[in-house]
Amino acid sequence: MDWRLNAGNLMLASRLIFGVGVFGFLFMSCGGKEEKLPIFGQREVAGTDTVYHTIAPFAFVDQDSLWVTNNTFKDNIYVADFFFTTCRTICPIMKRQMLRVYEATAEMPDVKILSHTIDPEYDTVALLHDFAERLGVESKRWHFVTGVKDSIYKIAQTSYFATAMEDKTEPDGFIHSGAFLLIDKKQRIRGKYDGTKEEDVNRLIIDIKKLRREGEN
Amino acid sequence: MILCWGLMACAPGNSNKSANSVKFQQYYVEGEVLFKKYCINCHQSDGLGLGRVYPPLDKSDFMEKNFEEVICIIKNGREGELWVNGVMYNQPMKSNPTLTELEVTELATYIYNTWNNQRGLVEVREVTSALSACPDR
Repeated sequence: MDWRLNAGNLMLASRLIFGVGVFGFLFMSCGGKEEKLPIFGQREVAGTDTVYHTIAPFAFVDQDSLWVTNNTFKDNIYVADFFFTTCRTICPIMKRQMLRVYEATAEMPDVKILSHTIDPEYDTVALLHDFAERLGVESKRWHFVTGVKDSIYKIAQTSYFATAMEDKTEPDGFIHSGAFLLIDKKQRIRGKYDGTKEEDVNRLIIDIKKLRREGEN
Repeated sequence: MILCWGLMACAPGNSNKSANSVKFQQYYVEGEVLFKKYCINCHQSDGLGLGRVYPPLDKSDFMEKNFEEVICIIKNGREGELWVNGVMYNQPMKSNPTLTELEVTELATYIYNTWNNQRGLVEVREVTSALSACPDR
């Protein structure tokens, strides 16, 4: 290369400076402060600490007959919902949307999904296993759990703030919301989304990425 | 000559079966409304179903070969194994007992003429006939 100062070199140099400048600017804005996701639920202030609402202790059984507890999600972010396999109202749409979440998080080992059945009498472990297999999903990334009915309803309502209960007057026999809850690594609720709406699930996917970037969350 | 003319007028007109006829349009549009009310959740707007849980209605060999049975399924639901394009489905489908024969006809016109399906107009008499011979669930 000709190092003497001439028009050609000057052009090249100015381009390089411009490029570095743009790159630097982008780098700076990436490192800039991103608005954090909210933390849902009641909070208590104890001195300098704030104690946030967290998911209560639970123990359910998944489609592989394995125990699933809060520990299963230690250091994980997860998305929770409530459904049942014979539901023909909102659940199929929810499952389709949750599949999108599953696919979008394929390369994220710290993100999992937890679907609870609200019809444990019908949705046995074997049936959930078949259902999950038919959706084509891996159990260690997407747990379908069953358990004691009252425990499931209780945790839905008091931990996840999602409606879920039997109601014989409803077309499918249950009243439940299509909510997807985003839970962080400290078992706190960071987002609530309507699992029947594609735009809401788009937002969930963006928020999952945001949460992962939060680092010390 | 008049006899021929008469016969032609009485014969099931190809004009009715064509997608341009008013009757077809009426049935199709109503069928779509019904599809969105009763079917879309599971079979989805693209007619592809979901995984191996809900079967597709598009490019389905079962649909193509089992017209009468499909009519029965729309009204009576179905349980047990069902093979579509070499894949076994086994999710119970609930019945739709409140659907009238006309509504079943409209639904069938919709599903059989959407996505890649091009069967043409479905007539009420075809549905009446199919429903009179439905197997027990």
